[in-house]
Amino acid sequence: MTFRLATFGLITSLFVGVIYVITKPLIIAAKEEARLEQLYALAEPLLLDGTIQTPVRKELPSNAPTTLERPLLVTPIANSTNQIGSVIPFKSTEGYSGTIQLLIALDQNQRVVGLRAIDHKETPGLGDKIDTRKTDWILSFNGLSYRDLSPDDWAVDKDGGRFDSFTGATITPRAVVNALKDTLRYLDENPELLEASQ
Amino acid sequence: MKIVTLWLDGLWDRNPGLIQLLGLCPLLAVSNTVDNAIGLGLATLFVLVLSNASISLIRNLVDDAIRLPVFVLVIAALTTCAELLVQAFDYPLYQSLGIFLPLIVTNCLILGRAEALARREPFFVSTMDGLAQGLGFLLVLVSLGALREWASKTLILAALPPGAFIALGLLVALHQVIQSKLKHLRAKVIANTKDRRVRTTGDIS
Repeated sequence: MTFRLATFGLITSLFVGVIYVITKPLIIAAKEEARLEQLYALAEPLLLDGTIQTPVRKELPSNAPTTLERPLLVTPIANSTNQIGSVIPFKSTEGYSGTIQLLIALDQNQRVVGLRAIDHKETPGLGDKIDTRKTDWILSFNGLSYRDLSPDDWAVDKDGGRFDSFTGATITPRAVVNALKDTLRYLDENPELLEASQ
Repeated sequence: MKIVTLWLDGLWDRNPGLIQLLGLCPLLAVSNTVDNAIGLGLATLFVLVLSNASISLIRNLVDDAIRLPVFVLVIAALTTCAELLVQAFDYPLYQSLGIFLPLIVTNCLILGRAEALARREPFFVSTMDGLAQGLGFLLVLVSLGALREWASKTLILAALPPGAFIALGLLVALHQVIQSKLKHLRAKVIANTKDRRVRTTGDIS
């Protein structure tokens, strides 16, 4: 019977494997489409004047925060003469369950134009309030740049900062605010990272 | 005859959502809009039909010692496939269902049908039962979704978690009222036929 159980395990794993291989390219395409759609919604104020350019891959030095992917995919937004902003992905691994993938649009003065959680598995009804489908919490960062607040203010209110933490689910907003703080501070110190032309 | 009873049981008499009260967690959580309800209902139907069918096919190969692990294995594999397929073909739905799509694996309706029926009955009966129970669940999910979406336009409570409990309670109550009316009607019909039969026998003797 042990052998039989192992055989069943093998068969079901094989079955899942086949479906995984078949759906993989479709899932990648669907994710890319959702990403672009989100990009348009996110950078809307910048798109009045500019258009989305081809993404640029930037190598990061080893002291860059872990919230940034390596290499970093920067999507510049430019009008006919100048770059007027950029969109970059970042992430937080300090959420309640799994990685929270975020996307941020910044203008040339590194002010937040838009911020969204694009992929997460936070608890429904509690942590998922970072999602624009549930609440507008994540829009409270719009218009801010890193220098607008003191470093201590870049935290949820429970940690003495400026941003609302949800009742019963502080871990999720804390994860988002901390990741945003690390990302914005690093970009503030290294503004050349956002420039499309080398 | 057995198949007809299976369908009646799944859709009405022993409806999984209104009588057996199985799978309440997704039922209450994902019934805030009709779209979500249809999405999760179809995904659950998919897993339930295929799990009933495959468990019925392997029913003679597993003994009591490995029965539960094998059933859980089958259901988990099917749920993973459902998750991958929804992700590939309807990514926005995948995003709005979130954690409740993988959580189909813990829906007690599915393991319940495997244990109660699919492990004893042949392939066709088990598959039909999966379809009937799955559709019954889908119907309740969609009615609840429609009720809550409609009511939330005037009453915010309907869209919140307590609203789900209240709406489900109303649906269960409605089901009970109709069911007891039907019982009366059935009893009357049977009484009438009995009366006539008594007279017929009387005439003959």
